Amino acid sequence: MKRKGLVALVALLVTVLFGFSAMAEGVIKIGVQAPITGKFASEGQSIDKAVRLIVKQVNAKGGILGKKLEVITCDDEGKAVKAAICARKLVDAGVIAVIGSYTSTCAEAAEPIYYRAGVLQTSDGTSDTLVKHGYWTFFRNSSPNSAEAKFTAEFFLKKQHYKRIALISDYSTFSVNLTNAVAKDIKKLGGNIVYQGKIVSGSQNFTPILTKIKSYHPDVIYFGGYYTDGGLIRAQMVQLGIKADFVGGDSNDNPEFLKLAGKAAVGAYLINVPLPNMLPYPAAKEFLKAYRETYHENPASIWTLFNVDGLRVILYAIQQTKSLDTKKIAHYLHYELKDFPGITGPISFAPNGERIGSAYMAYQIGPDLKYHIVYKEK
Amino acid sequence: MEIFLQQLVNGLTIGSIYALVALGYTMVYGVLKLINFAHGDLVALSAYIGLVIMMQLAGALSPAALIIITFLATMVIIAIAGVILERTAYRPLRKAPRLSAVVSALGASLVIENGIMLIWGPMPRIYPASIVPNVNYDLHGVYISLMQILVLVISFVLMIGLYFFVNKTKLGTAMRACAIDQDAARLMGIDVNRVIVTTFIIGSALGAVGGLFIGMYYRGITFNMGWIYGLNAFVAAIIGGIGNIPGAMLGGMLLGIFNALIAGYLSSSWAMALTYVLLIVIMIIRPTGILGERVAEKV
Repeated sequence: MKRKGLVALVALLVTVLFGFSAMAEGVIKIGVQAPITGKFASEGQSIDKAVRLIVKQVNAKGGILGKKLEVITCDDEGKAVKAAICARKLVDAGVIAVIGSYTSTCAEAAEPIYYRAGVLQTSDGTSDTLVKHGYWTFFRNSSPNSAEAKFTAEFFLKKQHYKRIALISDYSTFSVNLTNAVAKDIKKLGGNIVYQGKIVSGSQNFTPILTKIKSYHPDVIYFGGYYTDGGLIRAQMVQLGIKADFVGGDSNDNPEFLKLAGKAAVGAYLINVPLPNMLPYPAAKEFLKAYRETYHENPASIWTLFNVDGLRVILYAIQQTKSLDTKKIAHYLHYELKDFPGITGPISFAPNGERIGSAYMAYQIGPDLKYHIVYKEK
Repeated sequence: MEIFLQQLVNGLTIGSIYALVALGYTMVYGVLKLINFAHGDLVALSAYIGLVIMMQLAGALSPAALIIITFLATMVIIAIAGVILERTAYRPLRKAPRLSAVVSALGASLVIENGIMLIWGPMPRIYPASIVPNVNYDLHGVYISLMQILVLVISFVLMIGLYFFVNKTKLGTAMRACAIDQDAARLMGIDVNRVIVTTFIIGSALGAVGGLFIGMYYRGITFNMGWIYGLNAFVAAIIGGIGNIPGAMLGGMLLGIFNALIAGYLSSSWAMALTYVLLIVIMIIRPTGILGERVAEKV
C-alpha cells in the first residue's frame, strides 16, 4: 500500500514536471497516419520521411508561433481497423492535425474519430466518398477520380477537338466507373461517342474488338483500364492500321506500358497527375532537392507530395490565423485561403474540404519515349 | 466486308496457335487415351524459356539467326520437359485406373505453373518488340503483319510436316498402330514405350512453338497463361475430334475464327461463353467431333 502511494507520487511529480516543461517550451503536435509496413510500406514511409523533413525545416527556422513542432507517427498498415486504432491513439496523444492516410479506405475509417475530436485531417485519398460526410475537419489534397473524368472530357473536346470518340474499359469497378464518368462528362460537353465497350482484362487478343471499332472511324480510342492491357491495345491498334489517337487513363501510366506497346507507344497520350520530377513549381524543385539530400532517394510517388502540401497548408493557416484553434484554422482553409503556392500547384479548398482545381495533365509519349506535357488545367 | 476479312485474319492467327497446341493434346490422347492437362503449362513454360534464351543471345546474333536458334533450343528443352513429365507423372500410372492419371496430370499442371511463378515471379514478363520487324501489309484495307504471316506459314508447314510424318513414315505408322490397340501393336514387335516417348517429344515441341508465338505476337506473358491457352486448345481438339490430327488443326482454326467473330460482332466477354455453347452443340450432334470417326462399341 505504502509502495503504491510512493509510485503514484513519483508519477504525479514526473507528470507535473514534464508537463510543465512541455508547456513552457510550447510544442505543436502533428500526427502522421500512414502505412509504414505492409503492401504500401514504401508510400507510407515516404510520407513519414517527408513530413519529418518539413518539420525539421520549420523547427530550424524557430518553429511556428514561437513553438516547435513534434511529429507522432502511427502505422495503419493500410488496414481500416488499424486506421481507427491509430486515429484514437493520435487523438489521445494530443495532435492538432493528422497527415494521412495514403489509402482512401484508411482515411475514411479514421475520419469520424478525428471529426469528433476536432482534429484536422488531410489525405491524398482519391475516393469520391471521402468528402461526402460533411466533416469540417477533413481536407483532401489530391484530385479525385471524378476530376480525372472531367479533365479527360475537356482535353478531348477543348484541346484535341475529337469528333468521333470510342471508349473502352475492362470489367473492374475502377475501370468501369472511370470510363462511365468520362462518357458522362463528354456528353455534358456535347461530344460524340461513337462506341463504348468492354474488354476482358488479360485476354491479350484485342484485335476483334479493335477491328469492330475501326469500322466506326473514330478519331480517338480511350482506354480506362490498366497498363497490362493498354500497352497491347495500343500495339494492336497500330498493327491493324487504325489511325485514331490513343488516350490512356491514369492506370496506363507505368513503364511497362512502353515495353508492351513498343514503337507503337510513340504518339500515345496518357492522362495522370504529374510525376514528382515533372512539377514545374519552384517549391517543388526546392523540396525534391532537400528530400534527395536528406534521404538519398526520391519520394515514392506524387502522393507523398500531396501529403506534404497538406502539412504545409495547415502550417500556413496556423501562421495566418495566429491560432491553434482547429475551428479557426479550418474556417481559414475553407473560405480565406486562395491559391497557396503548393508543391503540387496552387491550393484552395471548397467548403466540403475538396481541393479546388485539378492537377491532372495530359502527356504525349515522344519519339524519345519520354513524357511531354501537352495539356493541363490552368 | 473489309471488317469481316480482317476478323478472319485475326481469327486464323490465333487459330493456328490453338491448332499447334491442340496437336499435343490430340496426339497424347490418341496414343495413351489420356488428357494431358499439363500440356498448356508446358506451352507457358516455353514462352518463358524462349524469352530467357532471346535475352541471352540478343545482340550477339542477327535477328533471323536469333529466331531460328531460339525456336530450336526451346523446342528441344520443352521436348525434354515433356519426356520427363511422361516418365514421372504418367508412366508409373499407366496400369492404374484412368482417373489416377488425370489427377496426376492436373497435379503436374499445378507444379509447372507454380514453378514458373516461383522462378520468374507473378508479374507479367514482356517480349522485346524488335525481334520481328514491325511491318504491316495493307491489302485493300485488310491489315496483316509480318509476324502474323510468320505464325500462319510456320504453323502450316509444321502441321503438314506432322501429317506426312504420321502417315508416311514407319514411326508414324507405329504411332497409329498404338493408337488403335497398344497390346496388338506390342505383339507385332512395336516398341510401345518408344512410340509414347516420340509422341510426347513431338507434341511438346509443337506446343513450344505455340508458346513462342504467343510471346512474340502478344508480347506479354504470365505464369498462368498456360491454363487459358490449354483450355482453348483442348476445346479445339474436341471440336475437331480428339485423337484425330487433321481434326485438331481444323478445330483450332475454327475456334480461332469463331472467337474472333463473336468478339467482333457481339462482345469479347461472350466469346468464351459461346465457345462452350459451340462445344456442347457439337458434342450433341457429333459426339466424336467433326473429323472423329465413329468407333464401334466393344460388346
